[in-house]
Amino acid sequence: MNLSMSTKNQPLLLLAITNVLAVAMPHALNAAEPTSLAGKASAGFVVSDFKYALSENFDEMLSCPQGVSKNEFEIYAMTPEGARKPTESEDDFEKRAMQAAYAKMANGGRNLCLHPELGEKDPYFRVLDNTRELTQGINLDGRASADDFSTPDGEQGIDNQFLRLVGCSQSFQPSGTSNGFAIEMLAGSWGILLSLSGVDDWQNDDLVEVSIFANADPIQLSPARKPLHYASYNYDSDSRFQTVTKGKIKDGVLTTEPADMRFHHVTNALMLERIFVDAQIKASISDDGALSGYLAGYMPIEALYDYQFGYRHATLADGSLAPEARRVQTSNGASFVLGYTCQGVYQAMHHLADGHYDPIEKQFTSISTQMKFEAVPAFVIETDSRNTDITSTGAQ
Amino acid sequence: MTANKFMRLFIVSITICISLLGCERDASSLREPAAAGGPLLVRALTESQYRASVHSIFGEDAPIAMRFEPGLRSEGLLAVGTSEVGLSPFSLEQYNQAAIALSDFVFNPDNPNQPCLDSAADQFDQTCAQHYLSTTGLRLFRRPLSEAQLNLYLEIAKQNFSLLGDFHTGLKYGLVGLLTAPNFLLRIEQTEIVDGVEVLDAYSRAERLAFFLTNTSPDETLLTAAANGQLSHVEGRRQQVERLLASDTLTLAVEDFFTDMLRFDRFRDISKDSGIYPAFNADVLQDAQQQTLLDIVQHLLVDEGDYRQLFNLKQTHLTRALGPIYRVPVPNRKGWSEVSFPSDSAYAGIQSHASFLALHSHPGSSSPTLRGKAIREVFLCQEVPDPPADVDFTLAEETNNHAMPTAKDRLIAHNNEPSCAGCHKIMDPPGLALEQFDGVGKFRVLENNTPIDVAGNLDGQAFETVPQFAQALSNHREIPRCLAERLYRYSVGRDVTWHERAFLDYLNQVFVDVDYRLKPLMRTIALSDSFYAIDGNHSQLSDTHPKIAEAKP
Repeated sequence: MNLSMSTKNQPLLLLAITNVLAVAMPHALNAAEPTSLAGKASAGFVVSDFKYALSENFDEMLSCPQGVSKNEFEIYAMTPEGARKPTESEDDFEKRAMQAAYAKMANGGRNLCLHPELGEKDPYFRVLDNTRELTQGINLDGRASADDFSTPDGEQGIDNQFLRLVGCSQSFQPSGTSNGFAIEMLAGSWGILLSLSGVDDWQNDDLVEVSIFANADPIQLSPARKPLHYASYNYDSDSRFQTVTKGKIKDGVLTTEPADMRFHHVTNALMLERIFVDAQIKASISDDGALSGYLAGYMPIEALYDYQFGYRHATLADGSLAPEARRVQTSNGASFVLGYTCQGVYQAMHHLADGHYDPIEKQFTSISTQMKFEAVPAFVIETDSRNTDITSTGAQ
Repeated sequence: MTANKFMRLFIVSITICISLLGCERDASSLREPAAAGGPLLVRALTESQYRASVHSIFGEDAPIAMRFEPGLRSEGLLAVGTSEVGLSPFSLEQYNQAAIALSDFVFNPDNPNQPCLDSAADQFDQTCAQHYLSTTGLRLFRRPLSEAQLNLYLEIAKQNFSLLGDFHTGLKYGLVGLLTAPNFLLRIEQTEIVDGVEVLDAYSRAERLAFFLTNTSPDETLLTAAANGQLSHVEGRRQQVERLLASDTLTLAVEDFFTDMLRFDRFRDISKDSGIYPAFNADVLQDAQQQTLLDIVQHLLVDEGDYRQLFNLKQTHLTRALGPIYRVPVPNRKGWSEVSFPSDSAYAGIQSHASFLALHSHPGSSSPTLRGKAIREVFLCQEVPDPPADVDFTLAEETNNHAMPTAKDRLIAHNNEPSCAGCHKIMDPPGLALEQFDGVGKFRVLENNTPIDVAGNLDGQAFETVPQFAQALSNHREIPRCLAERLYRYSVGRDVTWHERAFLDYLNQVFVDVDYRLKPLMRTIALSDSFYAIDGNHSQLSDTHPKIAEAKP
């Protein structure tokens, strides 16, 4: 099947016109606060928080009754030869077990994180396979099937197989470290911009244009490291990181039509790409021009494995493939720290995939994923803009 | 009433007379009144002048490793304070430290421009040392070294050569001596007798001219003109004035004047509550000042615009750091973008800039009182007395007072105090007109969920909105007068004397006749006799005066 991003994108020629946002300052006697969206036809946003939508009622005993996934160290330690010997110090034991675990992952020169398809089945990888979990998000396929989740307020059909994939991995629990990747966003490594245009009514409008971009600029922060409102950002000039879709607003909630999206992602200074296919947005628009809601779609599993677990095609800032040693160290280290095996997660994501069925291979090729996000008002500037007159590009 | 206040009242009366009678004069018919002049001065170099002088003499890479003491503001200007301030032991220590670091830089063996590079290290090269100290001394002292001065610094170099055994090290300490000399750190004006009249000597004229039009020491061309007597006659001065007015350094001089007038030195002490004003950071602090100076230079020098229009300009320059304050798009990712505010925007003119609004506010709130006082003092040259010692600010500062939700409500209550009402009557209208800007200049229309009423009256001009206030300020008759008189005070580094009132009147009329353009005003000052004149009562600064005496080696 063709997962090309460009087929669903609108002609980018429109961007120069529709996404240079400018907001006229309100008249001094207008009692509406200048941050209000009232009277404006367009608005821009910069994503200020971005994370996976996880379980809202996680309980380790109930959610993962068979325990959580294990890394190679823990697996080795459970074998007879890997068990700590009575005369062995803790340091010596750890050193021996780590060496054994790394040796297994090294896999005779074809590291299992870079070649997860070569790994034997991981019997210790655990997925969230119960029906009790509640999570927020978007019903991507319009159906409520057995694998889907429900929201705390009873809405059914939330597609989030990614949550099943990582739900029983230690680092993806509420106190875990895997959902803190927005730190890199706040450090300026990557970012996401949105803009809405053609808006007649910010409460109810049947047709608005929604643009989603990778941010080309570091996010601007306050001294307390909170994203600033109404900062200006250029979007990425690479058309692969630009998406235009249609949307509607009902009772102040924006929903968009499915579109492919691609964002930058950075881990350990390795450049990666986060890809969503047939992604949708459902977000509340506040009176002061902020967005809060969900961005959900299907992540192609090979791409998902690359940016989240294996870093197989990670590049350096100049676009060249990162040295293998660095990719191996990052992926192997992550599996240790975050508590899984690379082959285990790779096998599970193939098992859990629920999107974009490939009739030739007779398998699904993508996995539904829900991201929770917040966005604050911003100005989205067209790349290579030379126009410096606000009034001439002003509010539409 | 002081002489100054009386004089200002007199000038205002004359202006009103001229306006009412329609007796404006043509610029070409104006004649400068007989120059009255003021006293001879000894002025300390300002920080910017010190920096500019060092860089113009030793290059832009020359290090300046010192902390400068805050200046003394007098008559609204640090430039005037330079003739009233002394050098503290701390400053002298800092100047000495800077002189050593600078001399180390100049005499660094890796420096291809090291003086006397061809001289042997183990012998004192008298010829080269004498040449270096005399030529560098000319630039630093802004006049040729006397024989005694040159011998002094040569002797310093020789003694250090003897002690340290290295010619260049010895000469380096000769340079340290020059850099710490009063003749460099202080602008010591000197006189000569021409036709029986005591006048500023040529080098003092060059110095006044250079610092006024370039904010740095005289360049070699100007020093040569002084040496040749060119500055003693009008045409010679005109050539130099036109040369300096056409040079890039005029921008530095204009920036320095407005930095001084707008009191930007106080930015070094400014602090804002980051919880209340998250967008105000170190970048904003720097860029806000530069934004105002860029607008001033663009409008007054590049566009040769009317000074009064500075107060309702819709065009400005912004960086991305400033964008969240003004909440407008900033196109350029790096550096400055030229931006135009919409016609109905509250942002119009330099009094609506973050530099003015943040500087004249409290750390956690706006301040109509501070802003009103600043409008009066900075732009209108009107004095507002300090508050009485026993004034109770509690009511005015209760920003969360829901019974009196806006600053206007609170000030009305506060003004029931008779001792406060008089000053607030003049401060509040312009201060409250800017209340739709918060403590860092971000636009708002509500305070405590209550609409902010900015309507008021500025000395007879009623306004309902912030843009209307900008227009009223721009139209205010004291706006151009204040600029012209302040610029003259800045140029001569002192308050005006009683006998100069006619010259100020002349200057104000010239400003009218040149359509309130800055460069012609500066030309008029620089070519005037008054700019160079000294009065006869300056015996306190004769050679026997301690200030002069101690400056002589």
